Amino acid sequence: MSAILLIVVPLLTAFISILFKKAAPYMLLIVSFASVVALGYMPLEVITIGGFNAPYGINLILDSYSLIGLYIVNSLFFLVVALNCVKYKKMSTILLVSLAGLNGLLLTGDLFNLFVFIEVSGIAAYLITTTNKKPLATFNYLVAGTVGSSLYLLGLIILYAMFGTLNMADMANEIAISGASASATAFPFLLMFIGLGVEAKLLPLNSWTKGILGSSNKLTGPIIAAVYAAAIGFVFGRLITDLFLINISEVLEIVIIIIVIASIVAGEAMAFSSKKVRDILLFSSIAQAGLVVLVFFYGFVGWGVFLIIANAAGKFILFVVANHASDELGTDEVSSLQGLFVNNKVVGVAFTVASLSAMGMPLFLGFVVKMNILGDLFSEGNLLIPGIILVTSLVEGIYFVRLLIKLWYKEDNLPEVKYDFTLKYVVVVLALLLMVFGVYTAPIENEADNLNTISFVEGGDL
Amino acid sequence: MKNFLALLLTLFLGYMIMSWLATNEFFPAMGDVDVTTRVSQKYIERDVNGNSEEVVFGEATNLESGPANTVTAIVADYRSFDTLGEVTVLFVSSLGVALLLGGTKQRRLELNFHPNFMLRVGSRALFGIILMTGIYISIHGHLTPGGGFPGGTMIASSMLLLYLADDEFRAKVKGFKILESTTGSAYVIIGLLGLLLGGYFLENLLVNGVLGDLFSAGMIPIIYILIGLKVGSEISGVIDNFLTEEGV
Amino acid sequence: MLQYAAIVLIMLGLYGLLTQRNIIKIIISLNILEIGVNLFIVSVGFVTDGIAPIFTSVNNSSNLLFVDPLPQALVLTAIVIGVGTTALGLALAKNIYQKYGTFDINEMGEE
Repeated sequence: MSAILLIVVPLLTAFISILFKKAAPYMLLIVSFASVVALGYMPLEVITIGGFNAPYGINLILDSYSLIGLYIVNSLFFLVVALNCVKYKKMSTILLVSLAGLNGLLLTGDLFNLFVFIEVSGIAAYLITTTNKKPLATFNYLVAGTVGSSLYLLGLIILYAMFGTLNMADMANEIAISGASASATAFPFLLMFIGLGVEAKLLPLNSWTKGILGSSNKLTGPIIAAVYAAAIGFVFGRLITDLFLINISEVLEIVIIIIVIASIVAGEAMAFSSKKVRDILLFSSIAQAGLVVLVFFYGFVGWGVFLIIANAAGKFILFVVANHASDELGTDEVSSLQGLFVNNKVVGVAFTVASLSAMGMPLFLGFVVKMNILGDLFSEGNLLIPGIILVTSLVEGIYFVRLLIKLWYKEDNLPEVKYDFTLKYVVVVLALLLMVFGVYTAPIENEADNLNTISFVEGGDL
Repeated sequence: MKNFLALLLTLFLGYMIMSWLATNEFFPAMGDVDVTTRVSQKYIERDVNGNSEEVVFGEATNLESGPANTVTAIVADYRSFDTLGEVTVLFVSSLGVALLLGGTKQRRLELNFHPNFMLRVGSRALFGIILMTGIYISIHGHLTPGGGFPGGTMIASSMLLLYLADDEFRAKVKGFKILESTTGSAYVIIGLLGLLLGGYFLENLLVNGVLGDLFSAGMIPIIYILIGLKVGSEISGVIDNFLTEEGV
Repeated sequence: MLQYAAIVLIMLGLYGLLTQRNIIKIIISLNILEIGVNLFIVSVGFVTDGIAPIFTSVNNSSNLLFVDPLPQALVLTAIVIGVGTTALGLALAKNIYQKYGTFDINEMGEE
């Protein structure tokens, strides 16, 4: 089966579904489930479109890196859909388009094609966030996203003018052959980094995040914080390893590291001082987005991938649970959610597992990933970055534990929130996965080493 | 004060970008481009998959990509997948406009004037001409400047004319939707046929013919007509949504 | 020169985005920025004395000097995407107006 079907089938279904409104949610459910299953039958290959070889035509790259990305994005997407497709029937067609866009983001090997898919998935995301009923926040998101993608486009065109190609692998080749100095490519790289940084919620480029995630519902919270964040993380990883690190100047390196560290520190600080559950979660996910970029930037591809997976699965649980409670109660002040888990022990345990994994406690996936990253950084003799990671993990630990104590603490008038069976089932399975891979680490470490040694430029064969 | 800071910031950024562009040895000066060092040269020579012959108008037959207009060859053939994405963007944003503005609305927005008889008849006469021009441009996209996107916009602008000149007029929105859906699906299905029969998604399966003929370039005129209809119906749908409001 | 004009337009759009508080004006600024980017893309493909990359009975062979066709194809895509976001932004503006009764962000109170 060709991987192009992952993009094309959702698209075709989306075009058809506007004529059959009643059947659209079921089409969405079937297609999103089918794409998870179909992933098992995809051979690793480079797919040429239209019969024109790269760099002249567009190619899609299905290597083990993008395959992992597709698995995590498609499965989480399916879970979001399974939890929401009845309530948000109107969004079915848009969700189908966003599935096509996300798969395209992960697969494409062409820089301009990447821009097109950023826009496809971006516009779908703007529309999905309209279910928050905060048009102003959605408008800010749209403006920020459009400026971001315009900057990305500008950077990409400057690269085209300099090296005459649009294919990622060919671009990396041309840069290496031309012998361009690192400062010659610094500026377009910076533009592209800032453009993607807007989508990846990096400070100081993330003014949209609070409006969107701070008032999110059960659909938008998990899909923006888990699914979209994972997809953009994978795109970032590919661009950084394939392109930016090929020819990076010292000034650019310092600028990027400052942006990323600012995003980690500020994210944790703001999460620490927040009083609302969703705000705490969103600021902590900003910090984690920063950490993902940092890890890729230091070349630990394998651990970057697993950091994205741990974050995505964890944030999925946290946002689903928190959003369900705030949808039912109409508020997400920590004080009014006190004692939420007293009557919902199962969900409470899953929430606890996810937050422990996020702060990096032993026995959970987050710990394995963080430990290995720290170990690798130490062995390279880098002390500043691990120090920052450790301090922020400590802060993270404090506010998550504080939140957990509040949510488990028994009081007289408990909040009335019922979790249905599907939701319980989904969060428990994900929490179990976080625990299993936190203890049984061998396969993950193998896979991470494999990914570290793969040279992604392979995909472009010229 | 805030405005002044913003002004300083933008002036500084603009100056930085310009000076960077001017001093960078790899960035070619305006007009000083050597196309042969770029991938575009192969598009012009239709030489992506190997073609040593010179491309001559009216003589070259069955090139790897048939349109006389090289831009069309790129948009609808070499990089057709981008165009599919682009069509999707337009599709989802027209869907979004309908979703945001209510969808099932009945009443036209009040115009500031009441159109008289001359305006109504005259606009209907013009409507046909503009529509024909739009279709002509879509069909000739592989030979002349233009193609599905400009053609589709012209089709939509003929609808806009009717909407502006007549405050009673409403098109059949359901028809737009059917057209949108079928043309979009047809584009994808053409692509899937390529995958099924030729092995590559969006592969051109028909004979390319003589460069410069109206009936040449295989699938490309078909794709461009589909795009023209799709863009036309989508933008007409957007216009309809903006010019109506809820009410009886 | 055209490239510098494009940069000026981009910066003009950025200035508008930073200073304007009216939603319609923000959308206009966004459009100016996008037009700047589009102009930049086209300018990147320009070749002095080059002709339009279309074979006709007059310009009938591939040995002639054409301008770069690829940026022209890319700009078509960028324009269409810009149209999509603008339409969506305007629809959101209409929604915002229905909710708050104003286009001015300062007057909308908290959020």
